[in-house]
Amino acid sequence: MGFFLETVIGGLMSGMLYSLVALGFVLIFKASGVFNFAQGAMVLFAALAMARFSEWLPALLGIDNKVLGNLLAFAGAMVLMVVVAWLIERLVLSKLVNQEGITLLMATLGIAYFLDGFGQTLFGSAIYKIDVGLPKDPMFLLQNVFEGGVLVNKEDLYAAGIAATLVVVLSLFFQYTSTGRALRAVADDHQAAQSIGIPLNRIWVIVWSVAGFVALVAGIIWGSKLGVQFSLSLVALKALPVVILGGLTSVPGAIIGGLIIGVGEKVSEVYLGPTLGGGIEIWFGYVLVLFVLLVRPQGLFGEKIIDRV
Amino acid sequence: MIYRENGQFKTSYRADQQIFPITQDRTAIAALLLFAVVGVPLLADEYLFRAILIPFLILALAALGLNILVGYCGQISLGTGAFMAVGAYAAYNFFVRIQGMPLIVALLLGGLCATVVGVLFGIPSLRIKGLYLAVATLAAQFFTDWAFLRISWFTNNSSSGSVSVSNLSFLGLPISSPLSKYLFCLAILVVFAWLAKNLVRGHIGREWMAIRDMDVAAAVIGIRPVYAKLTAFAVSSFIVGVAGGLWGFVHLGSWEPAAFSIDRSFQLLFMIIIGGLGSITGAFFGAAFIVILPIFLNRALPALGDLIGVEISTAAVAHSELMIFGALIVFFLIVEPHGLARLWSTAKEKMRLWPFPH
Amino acid sequence: MAERKIGEVILDVHNISLRFGGVKALSDISFDVREHELRAIIGPNGAGKSSMLNCINGVYTPQEGSITFRGQKFSHMNSRQVAEMGVARTFQNLALFKGMSVLDNIMSGRNLKMKTNIFQQAIRFGAAEREESEHREAVEKIIDFLQIQAFRKTPVGRLPYGLQKRVDLGRALAMEPQVLLLDEPMAGMNVEEKQDMSRFILDVKDEYGTTIVLIEHDMGVVMDISDRVVVLDYGRKIGDGTPDEVRANADVVSAYLGTSQ
Repeated sequence: MGFFLETVIGGLMSGMLYSLVALGFVLIFKASGVFNFAQGAMVLFAALAMARFSEWLPALLGIDNKVLGNLLAFAGAMVLMVVVAWLIERLVLSKLVNQEGITLLMATLGIAYFLDGFGQTLFGSAIYKIDVGLPKDPMFLLQNVFEGGVLVNKEDLYAAGIAATLVVVLSLFFQYTSTGRALRAVADDHQAAQSIGIPLNRIWVIVWSVAGFVALVAGIIWGSKLGVQFSLSLVALKALPVVILGGLTSVPGAIIGGLIIGVGEKVSEVYLGPTLGGGIEIWFGYVLVLFVLLVRPQGLFGEKIIDRV
Repeated sequence: MIYRENGQFKTSYRADQQIFPITQDRTAIAALLLFAVVGVPLLADEYLFRAILIPFLILALAALGLNILVGYCGQISLGTGAFMAVGAYAAYNFFVRIQGMPLIVALLLGGLCATVVGVLFGIPSLRIKGLYLAVATLAAQFFTDWAFLRISWFTNNSSSGSVSVSNLSFLGLPISSPLSKYLFCLAILVVFAWLAKNLVRGHIGREWMAIRDMDVAAAVIGIRPVYAKLTAFAVSSFIVGVAGGLWGFVHLGSWEPAAFSIDRSFQLLFMIIIGGLGSITGAFFGAAFIVILPIFLNRALPALGDLIGVEISTAAVAHSELMIFGALIVFFLIVEPHGLARLWSTAKEKMRLWPFPH
Repeated sequence: MAERKIGEVILDVHNISLRFGGVKALSDISFDVREHELRAIIGPNGAGKSSMLNCINGVYTPQEGSITFRGQKFSHMNSRQVAEMGVARTFQNLALFKGMSVLDNIMSGRNLKMKTNIFQQAIRFGAAEREESEHREAVEKIIDFLQIQAFRKTPVGRLPYGLQKRVDLGRALAMEPQVLLLDEPMAGMNVEEKQDMSRFILDVKDEYGTTIVLIEHDMGVVMDISDRVVVLDYGRKIGDGTPDEVRANADVVSAYLGTSQ
């Protein structure tokens, strides 16, 4: 039982990490109606920036203090992400206003490829470290209930906490601020939003910057866990089923979807895996989502799509 | 002046309905085919065959299949690599396990297996649309990635999922030299392209396009959405499966599941987007573009670097490829979302009027 | 041109109610349509006219009520079955293939009648080619009827709106329907275009004997060409009868013009 609990908790933790990435997808989709395939590339790019800035900036400015160094690196990376957001809006999005969904999707795929190459050109392609002081040692809970206790990673616990906070802040932002309302209007209909005076381009820069921020946070957490390397952009592929499961337009859906898939993956790998030959993690999330979609084509929390003729 | 249809009157519906109604087009295609069959073998060297022509032919075939599903029927599929893999591994099993199995039959049977899998994964399209369907098709991709790696029966009990074939022949003639491989793939491509063109200009093609453009309204004019979608998946998967078999047998010779990974799926999608969705010629344009681009960059970038005195490492070339690739895709989507095929038909229209401006 | 006598009831709508979540689009609507007649459905914007057509057509499924077509009762219609039973329709928003020619668009209306299987079509020589030419002939007759011969190879997206509406009508006619549902076929047209379209609609009724159910906003047109009229307002039926009867109906007048204080 203790082992099962451990597996579940481990799944919950990794689920939270997926949700962090998924959040970026949902944000952009909710606010601009674009499915951003480049989210994974953004995570990698942001993580690379953070890793390298935390090396270069202290050296450049002669700073010894680790915390200050990390803060500067974070600020620098954030500025970079805003610049990226601005460039994407200027060069790509504004030229593709009101094109069909698949065109925009493909454009984000193109952006993803570009960012992958650009990031590695700017920052190099070795494996880099991020150390923001997240404790890496494990904890043992409930030692009096289960023998040896249940193993929980402190790092993952922090990640979960950060993700949860982000979700709450973002949900509140969307629901209760005028900018949030404007963002939702843009997601619904670009041209209509433009015609009532919503500054489309500024909105998009804001949205992609916020998504960049989420990507940066996700990048830091994943990066400090796994090291910053190219495979980080593939994390996005893991987050896709989470996004779809939760429904493309739901911020809490991204979290719940992440938890479900995280737990499902771990539990099925441990208990089902051996019979099927192992390694089923790579498709479990996707097949699960497939079955859910058959029953609910809009995902668990997504909005129902009504076709009008 | 040269390209005008003036004076070409049709006296029967059949003449009006043919694939190339304009005489100049018919001549051009005939010349192209002649060049492909006679001229290219005389001019091309082994490298050209191996690195450019054969991959181009096979990927054009796969792009053709994918375009039917995505371009004509409007069903987004991100799992094409999976169907290529099914075609390749199924053909492998038929070829290796059954004595005296002809190559062409094995490939076609591989295509049929891909059809079955394709229809299976096409069933969700009856309920799920758009983005959600795209992600659902990824399930096919990752599942087959895993299946061909872990289920050893598929790979004749090879531990790493990698297999190899040899002794290919067609009607007694061996297919081992680059030239013979080229001609074999060319023949298959031409036949399939002709069959595909017939389908898309027939009533099934109109049903597919009705689903793409009108979806809900399509049923109202008597289209059967289920039949249309599943046939699109079936035909598309068949063609993609055969292409997969060709890729493994003829181009690679030995392969593993990674040859048909998600990168392949994206590559094919890019081909039809850049080439032109919903266009048979688009598949050819797109495949040519995507096959030639990396090779061009590989040569041009270091040369450019030499020119300005900068040393460009292979890693840098790889990264630049990604960047240029991504930038080009965005560029195309902005400038001509209907792809190279549309650019081509616009050019032809201008040609009709040339030298007059309008 | 034969003046066909208006026949028996061919389509009967009983107590249809349709809701979208909390919004009631149709409440307890009943009326009938007789063979060979031109039945207009009118009403202010949002009255539920298109929704009514969508129910007859199988696009929407009403929560309550039933539809009887040629004696067969249905609680909900399946779009394709309806098409097979001989009901065709045009759309308010023109669901045409913008990128394809007029000819191909109208040919798509013949799909129900094309029977060659996928293998025959792949080969094309023989059965599929013959079938394609056969139906091409039928479509050419419709193109002649609608006087759009000059545009048969033009991509529909390039045509002016009025001509696109004609192509939409052509596609519906290609199905050789017994009942034709026309959803605002004259929306956005000028006077001349409306006259042309009215003439086409009446010709369809006279030459082919098609029963026509027409949604239209232009009162002049409606009163001129229809045999009987149903009036809807806020999802309810407020009038039913000949044009003269409906014109005199106080409820109808106040729905359109507002009651004077």
